Amino acid sequence: MKVDLTTRIKDLVLKNPVTVASGTFGTKDEYAGYVDPRKLGAIITKTITVKPRAGNPMPRICETSAGMLNAIGLQNKGLEDFIEHKIPYFKKLGVPLIVSIAGESAEEFGKLAKAFDGMKDVVRALEVNLSCPNVETGGVNFMKKQERILDAVKAVRDQTGLLLFAKISPELGDVLEIAGKVIGQGVEGISLINTLRGMAVDLRTRSSRVAKDFGGLSGPAIKPVALRYVYQVKKEFRVPVIASGGIASAQDALEFLIVGADLLAIGTANFVEPQATLHILKGIEEFCRKEKIRSLNDLRGSYRPAAEKGEGCNR
Amino acid sequence: MTVKKHDDDVSLLENQKVNGKYYKLAFLSAKLSQNVRPGQFLQVRINAGQDPYLRRPFSYYRVAGKRIEVLYEVLGYGTRVLCQKKKNDFLKVMGPLGRGFSGLIGKKKRILVAGGVGVPPLVFLAEKYPAEYLLIGTKSKAELLPKSELKKVRAKVLCATEDGSCGTKGRVTLLLEKILKNRHPGEFFIQTCGPKPMMEAVITLARKYGIEGEASWDETMACGVGACLGCMVKTNEGLKRACADGPVFQFEDLKL
Repeated sequence: MKVDLTTRIKDLVLKNPVTVASGTFGTKDEYAGYVDPRKLGAIITKTITVKPRAGNPMPRICETSAGMLNAIGLQNKGLEDFIEHKIPYFKKLGVPLIVSIAGESAEEFGKLAKAFDGMKDVVRALEVNLSCPNVETGGVNFMKKQERILDAVKAVRDQTGLLLFAKISPELGDVLEIAGKVIGQGVEGISLINTLRGMAVDLRTRSSRVAKDFGGLSGPAIKPVALRYVYQVKKEFRVPVIASGGIASAQDALEFLIVGADLLAIGTANFVEPQATLHILKGIEEFCRKEKIRSLNDLRGSYRPAAEKGEGCNR
Repeated sequence: MTVKKHDDDVSLLENQKVNGKYYKLAFLSAKLSQNVRPGQFLQVRINAGQDPYLRRPFSYYRVAGKRIEVLYEVLGYGTRVLCQKKKNDFLKVMGPLGRGFSGLIGKKKRILVAGGVGVPPLVFLAEKYPAEYLLIGTKSKAELLPKSELKKVRAKVLCATEDGSCGTKGRVTLLLEKILKNRHPGEFFIQTCGPKPMMEAVITLARKYGIEGEASWDETMACGVGACLGCMVKTNEGLKRACADGPVFQFEDLKL
């Protein structure tokens, strides 16, 4: 039995729902020796900023229970380098590209959106990163003031007709409230969740195990939280959602699909298993075949809320 | 054209203590033993589940045919779990990763300076390519690699121990400076791997005597393939990834 994994988001048609979370799949072809990226439904890039960013000092990484803290700090070579050196690669690759962008001001967000607006043959959507935990300006602290989020989103919307996903996290405040407002500003979808700020202390030095006091927690440890927000946002707004947050197995991916996720962005799991995306894709197909689900759309959003289940109620 | 990279399921042939400091594990892998250069490393998934979650990088210690050996210290949670593994237990291993030490260095003679986790790759290097000296620094004699592990080293092995229980008392750079003082430094090329303060001292000495060399400079890493940008090293050409652009860097490129 052939399972139809086609995932449609407005006009964007993807052959499957599996993609990679921003910043976890390199900046270009780092994983190409392990995974054929053409098998992915889409690729979400590492976040691009207008100017190059050196990122934070070392150490940037530390392992925690079922996950890790990172304090990378959006290291990237900036917009110009991306357009000159990375876009041609992705154009040739032919996989639908979702570019993650972050500005230090609404103006920069607008500038980034404008730059990619003219590349519709390669760039199929933008993920507006409003929730990086590791940068001062433009990160979660900065965006705590809701008008800054809305200004950034408005600036992006004003500059492009590309499909937009706002990447938000509970670190910004009330996820449902913010989601509602950014949808009001005209974004088509929401990307949930970014890393959550956490700490780890070195007993010998009594200081943080990463270069900043807080790092972004990712991996299986945050999956239940991510799942909950994807479910809530999907239920409340019925807009397209890119789900990320600890998706490490087909079981995880299927749970996100059942609560309604449109795209599944595999993140930290790539670091552990370079082929995580393909294993998950295969697992989704196998489950569907076993359960006689012909189209993923029959599974997506099929969650049965606790109140409806009731005692003794059969499916 | 993308080069196919290897991620192999391997079964342990052995995993045991060799002295007070090191454990040695060995396994067979046709894929992971191809074209390996001393200084390159393996990314080891210690358990299939989520505990520990990230892979751990280990340098190659020895490759003979399909047999690969890794010498490691128990330094944290990951290696504590790893050292409990028994013969026939499975590991998932990626490799060979990163850029290793130079094999051919022209007419110059090598001095290898090793400490701690830096000993295995330099023993590997000294077995593959002859060197004038292999200098090993440790805290005490108990931590020195047993002689049986150094049999195939093609270099004069000298030790420095902090407590003086073996070889020269003091830091390994004492040994290094003694050699450099008495000989024409221009004839040497230094290759070093070990704790950062040791390598910094080695590089400082090398600069003082105008000697070129290579250091294996790593940082805590997650992916091991250049994707996460967790393990950046400051170089004269900007930030480089220890896992993919290194871990071996030229002394002159490192910005200390």
